[in-house]
Amino acid sequence: MFPMRIAKRQEPLGFGGSCFVLLTALGLSLLLSAILLSLGGTSPVRGISVLLQGAFGSRWALEDSVLKAIPIFLCSLGVAVAFRLKIWNIGAEGQFALGAIGATWIALSFPGWPKYLLLPAMIGMAMTCGGLWGLIPALLRQHLKTNEIIVTLMMNYIAILFLDYLVYGVWKDPTSFGFPMTPMFSEQAIVGKIGGTSINWGLAHCVILGLLIWLFFRFTRIGFEIKASGDNVRAALYAGLPYDRLVILVMVMSGALAGWAGFLEASATVNRLQPSIMVGYGYTAIVVAWLARLHPLSIGIAAILLAGLRVGVESLQLDLQVPAAFGGIIEGLILLTVLAGGLFTHYRIAWGVGK
Amino acid sequence: MTSQIIIALLAAAVQSGTPILFATLGEIFTEKSGVLNLGVEGVMILGALAGFVVARQTGNPVLGFFAAGLIGGLAAAIHGVVCLWFQGNQVVSGLALTILGTGLANYLGTAFIGMAAPGFAPVAVPLLSDIPGIGPIFFQHDVLVYVSYLIPPAMWLFFARTRFGLGLRAAGEYPAAATAAGLNVLAYRWLGIVGGGFFMGLGGAYLSLAYTHLWTTNLTGGRGWIAVALVIFAFWRPGRAVFGAYLFGGIMALQLRMQASGTQLSSSILLMLPYALTVIVLVLSSWRKRTSDAPASLGINIAPAE
Amino acid sequence: MRVMKALLVLMLAVWASTAGAAEKEMKVGFIYVSPVGDAGYSYSHDVGRQAVEKMEGVATSYVEAVPEGPDSERVMQNMARKDFDIIFATSFGYMDSMVKVAKQFPKIAFLHCSGFKMAENMGNYFGRMYQPRYLSGMVAGAMTKSGTIGYVAAFPIPEVIRGINAFTLGVRSVNPKATVRVVWTKTWYDPATEKEAGKSLLDVGADVIAQHQDSPGPQEAAQEKGVYSIGYNSDMAAFAPKAHLTAPVWNWGVYYVKVVEAVKKGTWKPEAAWPGMAEGVVDLAPFGPMVPKELQDKVNAEKAKIIAGQQKIFVGPIKDQSGAVKVADGVVMTDPELLGITWFVEGVVGTTK
Repeated sequence: MFPMRIAKRQEPLGFGGSCFVLLTALGLSLLLSAILLSLGGTSPVRGISVLLQGAFGSRWALEDSVLKAIPIFLCSLGVAVAFRLKIWNIGAEGQFALGAIGATWIALSFPGWPKYLLLPAMIGMAMTCGGLWGLIPALLRQHLKTNEIIVTLMMNYIAILFLDYLVYGVWKDPTSFGFPMTPMFSEQAIVGKIGGTSINWGLAHCVILGLLIWLFFRFTRIGFEIKASGDNVRAALYAGLPYDRLVILVMVMSGALAGWAGFLEASATVNRLQPSIMVGYGYTAIVVAWLARLHPLSIGIAAILLAGLRVGVESLQLDLQVPAAFGGIIEGLILLTVLAGGLFTHYRIAWGVGK
Repeated sequence: MTSQIIIALLAAAVQSGTPILFATLGEIFTEKSGVLNLGVEGVMILGALAGFVVARQTGNPVLGFFAAGLIGGLAAAIHGVVCLWFQGNQVVSGLALTILGTGLANYLGTAFIGMAAPGFAPVAVPLLSDIPGIGPIFFQHDVLVYVSYLIPPAMWLFFARTRFGLGLRAAGEYPAAATAAGLNVLAYRWLGIVGGGFFMGLGGAYLSLAYTHLWTTNLTGGRGWIAVALVIFAFWRPGRAVFGAYLFGGIMALQLRMQASGTQLSSSILLMLPYALTVIVLVLSSWRKRTSDAPASLGINIAPAE
Repeated sequence: MRVMKALLVLMLAVWASTAGAAEKEMKVGFIYVSPVGDAGYSYSHDVGRQAVEKMEGVATSYVEAVPEGPDSERVMQNMARKDFDIIFATSFGYMDSMVKVAKQFPKIAFLHCSGFKMAENMGNYFGRMYQPRYLSGMVAGAMTKSGTIGYVAAFPIPEVIRGINAFTLGVRSVNPKATVRVVWTKTWYDPATEKEAGKSLLDVGADVIAQHQDSPGPQEAAQEKGVYSIGYNSDMAAFAPKAHLTAPVWNWGVYYVKVVEAVKKGTWKPEAAWPGMAEGVVDLAPFGPMVPKELQDKVNAEKAKIIAGQQKIFVGPIKDQSGAVKVADGVVMTDPELLGITWFVEGVVGTTK
């Protein structure tokens, strides 16, 4: 066959090399997208430049991308905690919904509380509800040996339907002409915007929480135990690490973070609860977490990238009439090529027949 | 009258379970080889489009059905390239395949929306369809449902009795040992991925050629995800997949019929039933089990040979 | 990780350049909640957009599959910054976002479909779809033999509930004992589920299936069982030629062209517009060959009355499901009441919960 084989690198690929691989992968996926664009009758150069400009090419575009990245980042931070222990929490979507429900419950019950009391209470309830939604699959796993993937997935559907039930029923705003939405939150229940930008203070929450999670894994004993147990369950059990308790802990943390994202989405961006806040951030979060190899800062950047891509695709639609479905194609291609490019971190292509 | 309604309900359970069954069997086939493919939804919808387009162009739904399988296998092969050749993370690759597949199908399929294509109509099986109860429930469907009856036993035989089946399972359980024993583990994983994609594609085609006779965006409506969940529900056994798919399809059909009969329960609550009951049944059937049934090396890539 | 940082720098570098120059044409933007290829609700709006596109000196564009909520706000702002002159947002959930964006861009005309809020530069509009729904109910009521009619519906929101009520009033105007059974699918567009919902209604004895869904799934269910169906959105006869009696359909082009012309001339003012059959925004699709001539004449006569403004449809006495009189004899329901309707009229079997 070809005189080509894959050989292991003596040392992982360095910084410059990794950049080169990543850029090549991105370039390749954009090239493929460009070809598809031109097959569809759109100028490929114009298409790609509109996409990039729409995503990052102006102050507005950057703000929009960051804004959209906030819920993705928090959900992703959450699932990454569980993934560290190799617990497959794909329930961020449902935990996000429960967080939004918890926050809304407080916002509707105590609209008159001052901001410094109301917002923390909303966050607390959002984390509790999200955390509980994460606790259930953890307990089922621990006591009844039920696989957490299926339970978290099914609980996503249930959470969204529960949200529907509330906003179509008991929480429906009497002045909304029968439409499914809660009343608008009071001023005190709304997380405001930063200065003259369209970005809300949720960004600061992200920075602080990201930092805390990083510190947690870097410097605390429990953080270390989670990493160690995730790397090798048997060794961890042998060393006497409290594996079962760690499972509970990561699932609750995971759910609480996704719940926080749900709080921000309800409070800062929509200012009320309505079914349309569920747009699949919990699933996007899984892609982002893995792409970033579970590292908080990388999660932030990957979240902005992916959010930017989705924002940019809208410009592609608006300026060049490219169908929305094309966004999925580009996103899928980018993910697949970047993923495949990861091979070259530890391997290289060797020419000539091997030994 | 009541027994008639129950029979109609159970027949509906079989039919609405069938697309999920095809996809679940496909995912079992893939996972048995040690590869987790979360791209079922994307593979299914490409299969649905391919089946519809080929049936329309050739006028032959059987060709369409097989074309759907082929395209399903091809689409899944993308997952194979990324995970088997390039060592990509199986979770991300699968999710990316769902995003890509859905985008591609919706992009390419726009031109075919609202068009008609030949499909499969119900055909009663002689003799069998006359058995009271059983007949109307199982043997008054379209041919593809009957095809779906044959796959679980065939798959079981394949895994339990054939050399290829044992090799495929070995690739999923103990790839290192299998390699040492001289098996080409990578080739078996390719078989698992492409073979599984074939069945997922068939599941998609069931939706566009038999369940409905039309193509639209979002035709799969999240059924691929249900299939991923049902693999675990089925403990990776083809026989139990049948139970899972019909249970899920049946409860979905039941809640619609409860509404049609005039229940006062909220539709949000009713729609939770299929998801909640799947979990409850799983808990009931797995809480005494000591071992996990998942292939031991599921989701773990094989490092390239030096 | 460091690689990701480098990428961030690259992204910032792209930031430098600016957008191209604007043309002198009038730009009209549309925002749709689903892909326009769906042959359903968004498609019907897009047919309207194409009529605008044909106008002299007008260019249109659209963004499809925009989730309701924060995403829609961004899309509207994007359009506004790109100097669009008119923005149509075609789904209810865009309302709050549009109010916010309209405040930021006072020179742009904003129009929101199916909501109730207004601003100095924002109007709202919808079509009186309940009028053709009433007529299609008359057809269904006359064609049913079992006296049970099935209605596959998406979400229990006022628009859908209003449609079911008008349909039922139509059914009962010709067949006072008939009932309309409702099944909610909680999806706008999932053909297999919607077909299954249709089948579930057939199983309980329905022999005409109507729908408030964007896919023709329920039409297929009716055709396979050999019973009749009523479509929605656009003429769905092609999907079930043997079953399809008629369908209430949208015809947005008339309205969109009128608004764009008004804005061009500078005569446009924000209003709550609710055009109906008289304006041609909604209509009834051609009857199938199985609808008897006398029935067609009867329905057409009623249609003429609606267009002339003599038939208001929601005229008392109207009872709710429990039999209590909700609208007194001779009273006509007001538009705000209709826009916010959350209860079923007598004759509907099902719940709005």
